[in-house]
Amino acid sequence: MVIKLIGYAQSLPTRRVILTLNELGLSYELEAVTEIHTIKTDDFLANKHAFGKIPVLCDGDFKINESRAICRYLVSKYQKDAKIVLIPDDINKVSLIEQYISYELSYFDPPLTKILLQEVFNKRRGEPIDEAIVKQAREEIEKVLDVYEKILVGKDYLNGEYSLADLFHFPCAHYVCTDTQQGDIFDTRPNVKRWLDNLRNRDAYKKTYAE
Amino acid sequence: KRNKMTIRLIGFGNSVCTIRVILCLKELGLSYKLTPHAGGYAALKDKDYLANEHPFGKVPVLYDDKFKITESRAICRYLAFKHQGKHNDTILIPNDIHEAGLTEQLISYGSSYYSPAIEKIVMQEIYEKDKGKTPDPVVINQGRKEIEEVLNVYDKILEGKEYLNGKFSLADLILCPITHYAHIAKHSDLWDKKPNVKKWWNRLKNRDAWKKTLEDAKNA
Repeated sequence: MVIKLIGYAQSLPTRRVILTLNELGLSYELEAVTEIHTIKTDDFLANKHAFGKIPVLCDGDFKINESRAICRYLVSKYQKDAKIVLIPDDINKVSLIEQYISYELSYFDPPLTKILLQEVFNKRRGEPIDEAIVKQAREEIEKVLDVYEKILVGKDYLNGEYSLADLFHFPCAHYVCTDTQQGDIFDTRPNVKRWLDNLRNRDAYKKTYAE
Repeated sequence: KRNKMTIRLIGFGNSVCTIRVILCLKELGLSYKLTPHAGGYAALKDKDYLANEHPFGKVPVLYDDKFKITESRAICRYLAFKHQGKHNDTILIPNDIHEAGLTEQLISYGSSYYSPAIEKIVMQEIYEKDKGKTPDPVVINQGRKEIEEVLNVYDKILEGKEYLNGKFSLADLILCPITHYAHIAKHSDLWDKKPNVKKWWNRLKNRDAWKKTLEDAKNA
């Protein structure tokens, strides 16, 4: 039975799931959501996502939402049949990967999201860009990236070997590179740049972003 | 069967995230030693602390023997993976793949919707007040509206259930400290208005581990 993914291919959380599906070599059907009102109906709230969000993944009878939860589920079910390790077995390694996932949620994503809201989403809606917010967010993410630059000394990936933590960071970082004026924050830090370039060059990433 | 005292926790008794880890330790039946960081919150930005403990200058930090881990949600997962079911019957992350998946979904609801809504109010009513500032009523009102919307959804999720995923899990535990602070900040009416949410919070705050956590936090 085919995995069904309800989402929007350009949405960051949907990208996170598609990257994971591609890394695990899984086929799936994307049910594209193009209009926001369709995910706010009583039916969608009752049966797909209680907060009216995408993505939602249906694997046979099993339904799960929230991109990071979906990805963890896919790894726990399908990693053993795939040629890749996104979450290792060792308890200490898994926990450090969870630590980096928490860094992503707490420190990495929020300032990047502020930049995206201004330079991509406001722009798209024809609303003015608040330069003060962009400036503050840029200062914030620069401090965060200084930390990442140290974490990545002598390492290609956050926990040494490639893992789900690196994957989770990619959609937001990449979007800032391709669609905003602030992408230089990554390029001016050699370890961070190497990290993102390594990710970009993975087959699953090329496949995801070609779609 | 008790664990040897190998667990050391750096944190503060009034930190939501530290309290979260203490609760997890208590729920799993684990002993630990709490060491507050000398110099308080301001000292978390010291070069030494940033280099050796937490690169973003935060608490808590947990040492299990020589293994160090930061970020409360990651610490809780580590403690669950390593110790759950060993000292008592409490299972925080189910072994079944589907139940684990749903637990992770609910943990994510906590980070995405529940905590952010409450943090706005707690920041105003507790942390800004501590700094001598008056809470901004506009922010408080907006925060209350958001919490109400979130709790509407939680009330539906909890229909016919004692805990978010049926049995008590990490998804419930993670939300206890911030909920407690919302009540201290005198916004408990929002929880009392929703029948299932009210019963759920009553259940959580009456758990032995929670009561012991509050004791430890007070004495920290």
